[in-house]
Amino acid sequence: MNRRNKSACAAVLMGLSCLAAGSAQADITVGVIISATGPAASVGVTQQRTVPLLPKEIGGERVNYIVLDDASDTTTTVKQAKKLISDDKVDVLLGPSLTPNSLALIDQMAETGTPMISLAGSGAIVEPVDDKRRWVFKTPQSDGQMARAIIQHMTSQGIRSVGFISFNDAYGEGWAASFRSLAEQVGIKIVASERYQRTDTSVTGQTLKLISANPDAVFIAASGTPAVLPQATLVERGFRKPIYQTHGVANNDFLRVGGKNVEGTLLPGGPVLVAEQLPDSHPAKAPSLEFIRLYEALPNAGMRSTFAAYLWDASLILKAAVPEALKTAKPGAPAFRAALRDAIEGVKDVVATNGVYSMSASDHLGLDSRSRVMIRIENGGWRLVP
Amino acid sequence: MGPIMDLTIFGFLVQDGLTTGAVYILLAVSLVMVFTVTRIVLVPQGEFVAFATLTLAGLERGDAPGLAWLLVAAGVLAFVMDLSAARRRGSRRGIAAAAVLFLAVPAVLAAVALYGIGASTPLAAKIAVTCAMVVALGPILYRVAFQPMAAASPLYLLIAAIALHFVLVGAGLYLFGPEGVRTSPLLDGSTEVLSMPVSVQTLLILAASLGLNLALFAFFGFTLQGKALRATAVNRRGAELVGVSADYAGQLTFALAAAIGALSGVLIGPVTTIYYDSGFLLGLKGFVGAIIGGLAAYPAAAVGALLVGLLEAFSSFWASAYKEVIVFTLIVPVLLWRSLAHVAVEEDHD
Amino acid sequence: MTDRLRGPLPWLIVAALLPLVLGPYHVALFGYIFIAALVTLGIVLLTGVTGLISFGQAAFVGIGAYTTAYLTTTLAMSPWLTLPVAVVLTAGAAAVIGAVTLRMSGHFLAIASLAWGISIYFLVGNLPYFGGFNGLSGIPALTLFGIDLRGETAMYYVILSFLAASIWAVLNLLDSRVGRAIRSIRHGAALAESVGADPARLKIAVFVIAAALAALAGWLYAHHQRFVNPTPFGIHMGIEYLFMAVIGGVSSVWGAVIGALVVTLMKQALEDLLPSLLGQSGNFEIVVFGVLMLLVLQHARQGLWPWLIERTGVRRAPSRVAADPMPAIRAKPEPGEAILRIDRVRKSFGGLAAVDELSFRAEAGRVLGLLGPNGAGKSTMFNLISGVLPVSSGEIRFLDRRIDRERSRVLAAQGMARTFQHVKLVPSMTVLENAALGAHLRGRHGLLRAALRLDRAEEARLLAEAAYQLERVGLFAQRDELAGNLPLGQQRILEIARALASDPVLLLLDEPAAGLRYKEKQALARLLMRLRDDGVTVLLVEHDMDFILGIADRLVVMHYGRKLADGAPREVQANADVQLAYLGAD
Repeated sequence: MNRRNKSACAAVLMGLSCLAAGSAQADITVGVIISATGPAASVGVTQQRTVPLLPKEIGGERVNYIVLDDASDTTTTVKQAKKLISDDKVDVLLGPSLTPNSLALIDQMAETGTPMISLAGSGAIVEPVDDKRRWVFKTPQSDGQMARAIIQHMTSQGIRSVGFISFNDAYGEGWAASFRSLAEQVGIKIVASERYQRTDTSVTGQTLKLISANPDAVFIAASGTPAVLPQATLVERGFRKPIYQTHGVANNDFLRVGGKNVEGTLLPGGPVLVAEQLPDSHPAKAPSLEFIRLYEALPNAGMRSTFAAYLWDASLILKAAVPEALKTAKPGAPAFRAALRDAIEGVKDVVATNGVYSMSASDHLGLDSRSRVMIRIENGGWRLVP
Repeated sequence: MGPIMDLTIFGFLVQDGLTTGAVYILLAVSLVMVFTVTRIVLVPQGEFVAFATLTLAGLERGDAPGLAWLLVAAGVLAFVMDLSAARRRGSRRGIAAAAVLFLAVPAVLAAVALYGIGASTPLAAKIAVTCAMVVALGPILYRVAFQPMAAASPLYLLIAAIALHFVLVGAGLYLFGPEGVRTSPLLDGSTEVLSMPVSVQTLLILAASLGLNLALFAFFGFTLQGKALRATAVNRRGAELVGVSADYAGQLTFALAAAIGALSGVLIGPVTTIYYDSGFLLGLKGFVGAIIGGLAAYPAAAVGALLVGLLEAFSSFWASAYKEVIVFTLIVPVLLWRSLAHVAVEEDHD
Repeated sequence: MTDRLRGPLPWLIVAALLPLVLGPYHVALFGYIFIAALVTLGIVLLTGVTGLISFGQAAFVGIGAYTTAYLTTTLAMSPWLTLPVAVVLTAGAAAVIGAVTLRMSGHFLAIASLAWGISIYFLVGNLPYFGGFNGLSGIPALTLFGIDLRGETAMYYVILSFLAASIWAVLNLLDSRVGRAIRSIRHGAALAESVGADPARLKIAVFVIAAALAALAGWLYAHHQRFVNPTPFGIHMGIEYLFMAVIGGVSSVWGAVIGALVVTLMKQALEDLLPSLLGQSGNFEIVVFGVLMLLVLQHARQGLWPWLIERTGVRRAPSRVAADPMPAIRAKPEPGEAILRIDRVRKSFGGLAAVDELSFRAEAGRVLGLLGPNGAGKSTMFNLISGVLPVSSGEIRFLDRRIDRERSRVLAAQGMARTFQHVKLVPSMTVLENAALGAHLRGRHGLLRAALRLDRAEEARLLAEAAYQLERVGLFAQRDELAGNLPLGQQRILEIARALASDPVLLLLDEPAAGLRYKEKQALARLLMRLRDDGVTVLLVEHDMDFILGIADRLVVMHYGRKLADGAPREVQANADVQLAYLGAD
């Protein structure tokens, strides 16, 4: 080993040790992982915008947020969670935005004893609450709960057969599974089940198959503006029966791109989407209006977003749980994380934009039927279906 | 429980396949053209399409078009590169032309797009501005990304093309946001062909793509300039000796490719939703069509592209979850056949 | 061996010490970097060494990862048992894909790799047993003799060990008989064929090795990440792995590590830096990544590693090989015996006869010159003899075996060795290695023994033989230079040394004097005369009459595909027809 080589090695070692050093220690550290870029960007961007609204202080302690974008990629999510937990010593993790990314973190959360409040849809993230999922909570209504709202509405309309089309990805897959099992229970037949891609330029083949199966209604499980294409194609092909979408379409871009093609669309959603139209008796009305006021005042934020509201609700849960946890331990230590986990599991009647959260040892979502409403698109706007 | 494929459905699927295929034809012939002149597989061809649609939609909505800023910034970079190349060469030849092409044209177009377009501007003018901006971007991208490495092997050029695609997609997300757009239809209504309703827009796409294909075939096959452009691909040094600069040929080809991309974008904007990242798969499928045509012949590339479009239409009917699997798996035998039919020439890498 | 280890060993020690100075997150990060380095190591073999391009390596990582994920979660198999399963399964898939797609060249292969990269992503995503797009969770951590290898540091050492072992094996492989054949492929299949190697099989072998490395990476990934879903194995990752290799330096093993390191750390830094710098949402990381890639391609196309090596001025030590010939592998024919018989051979291209009813023979221990003006058909005749082209009619016999339909590879095994009109050497190999390439058929050890370094005794003999041939042609002193750096005259002589290393019965030389300067021609002529005195049989194709007259024992002159004259040089020179043909042609 010559001298040059030796000193090069030493320099590398020193450089790396600098990398390792230096992580700030705030009072309460909250890690936030969202998907602000990549295929799920339209979901994550709204959550990224919401971060500045989150409370800066809870229970008299300062709260420090560290926000990372996982670009919708699971490898990155796991890396970032490792970083947040080991380097930044976060007390709790909010996110990720997506189901696969949330599932990818379950083991790590359990092994490091860090509570996490996921912002993703699938019920599989918190069900069943086993040894690993003890540490995992979530705020969005599960696919199953939302699907149940759709099924109830379909039943009330006398719909007996449905044509189903969804994204060929985790989002579509989650909906396909929960919708299929619920539909079977009430005797609604799925007469066609199709997939398409977010960036497809044509879904004529799938649409023809849906129409030729002659269903009473079509249900499109997709999110954002890509959900327009199947509906537009159906309408162009003369399909005039009810079309259902998921709450994933609830943004103004969907209305803009969809135009008259999406008039009359039915979708389930969090109460926050139509907060102004809720009866005053609805518990979610006041917190929703408050959130909307803050969110829509942000520069470039545009319309309220249910996805943004999930992050907001997660912070409301923290607001309720952190003071409890502070009673037994100080932030930045495993004891505090454990106490926080217990406190989150113990929150009761947290009134939030998506309904009322009451967690328990067997329910790490804690939402009931007040958490969703049916919405119809009328005159280019969202209307509450009573 | 699979629904029966009757004649109507068959007809609609063929129509759908032809429409999609027609767009792939546009991309495929453009890829063939760029490859025959520069040996570059222009992966970012799809970005020209997406940027055109997104810019047009932005103009229709009254948003400030982000493309204008990209155009100006890239133009300045291209000019600086030309300037420093001129200094190294010790000659100021071509600087004036570069100033016009890389500075003046983008500045004028950006000014028009930012300040000259109002709600009352006719659609045709918006389309013209959109196309002009995308076309102007073409030579600039060639200058910045490919000209410094034009002599590299095709495989390195392919990797560079993918790198450029990354840059453009990232810029696209920033400039246009994650959501999709649709533009207003150029022609409304439908007509009957063989007692099937066919939208006029579809016919327009088909006509444009076939017309362009023939035009390129004629240009490269029969005109002196077309032959000169092709000669640069075969022998850069030789072409330069007879007065065809490889740099000029590359920039001209990229302008043509961008024009074809812009045209495709304007044509498909009304029939589908386009996103900042729609370009990749569009380009890839055009590429598949071009490869089926051996990356050399325009009519063969067009047939290949139509084949991809039809395959896609039918597989999305039969097994939509596996559409991409089917499209990309079935091309392998075609590729194999092409590569075996293609006389094995001894390949020397650098 | 100590020579080879002096370079990497300190770095291995640095790598082993890293967890002592790094926090757990960076240890985990380096785990991911080394996993990526395993994949790029395969790409170096595939793209840099063999000249094949693949965007589909991530799909092979996926097959490896999913195999172990599925077997350990649903069937509760031990991860150590799933490792061979994952590797064998992936290698099998690669062998099938390779058999179909490796026949394609250049862009066809690249697009095919995109195709399978995309297909596998959607295929896995739609298969419910693999958890669909939501993936499989609950993959167990590795254990070793009851020790739980959960946690960043333990996994880091596991990954590092596999990476170090893989690099060792790949370095061994490249520095071996098969390795030299593999390195020759990208310089033309004809070169590999001429020394008796089978380029098609070697390509598939390299492809399978690259896939196996990817599978190993996938297996490690699954147990490091403890979760798999289709996105990390999609086409964008396939592209990223290729980019890592190109940035690091695609033609060097260390480039693979450097590339994975630089790209991952840079992405990490950008993730931390860009949002605070720009305060905007957007995928700036991909923009910076793309720009960096373009800069590397424009300014350091060979990648960072060769660039670094150049800057640090590291030089390799002289090889300590002694010249020592191997025992002959075949009995030499008696001098004067006709070993090559050309009988009424005809070759036509689309009705045009390039060789027309030509007959002659070559005798052992003599130098036969095949002479003719440009366009006389002598190159075609050379290609017919050397198995590059099949004859249209007629017969060619070599050592009493009919060879007019045999491939050059088979001819090499029978004792025919050749040089090329346009010199074909492996410029990135040393002179010694290039000569040793010629002895390909005199060794037997294959990929596995080479990778495990069980081929050293044979390897030493092959190198000694190569050194002997270099000494014979006068290039021994230049043995450690890169062949690409030699002047043309020496390159031609090196080709002869390479041919001699195969212990040939017949040496075919294709215009060896073309493009040489006067002094170089003289040196070549002296060498050929020395070889003749050693009893080597030579068939020399040439159009330079003056050069050939002093060397050949007999001349066959061709004109318009036919034989014009056949006899001793003096007679032929005096032949009026020959004079007319030459003077008329010139």
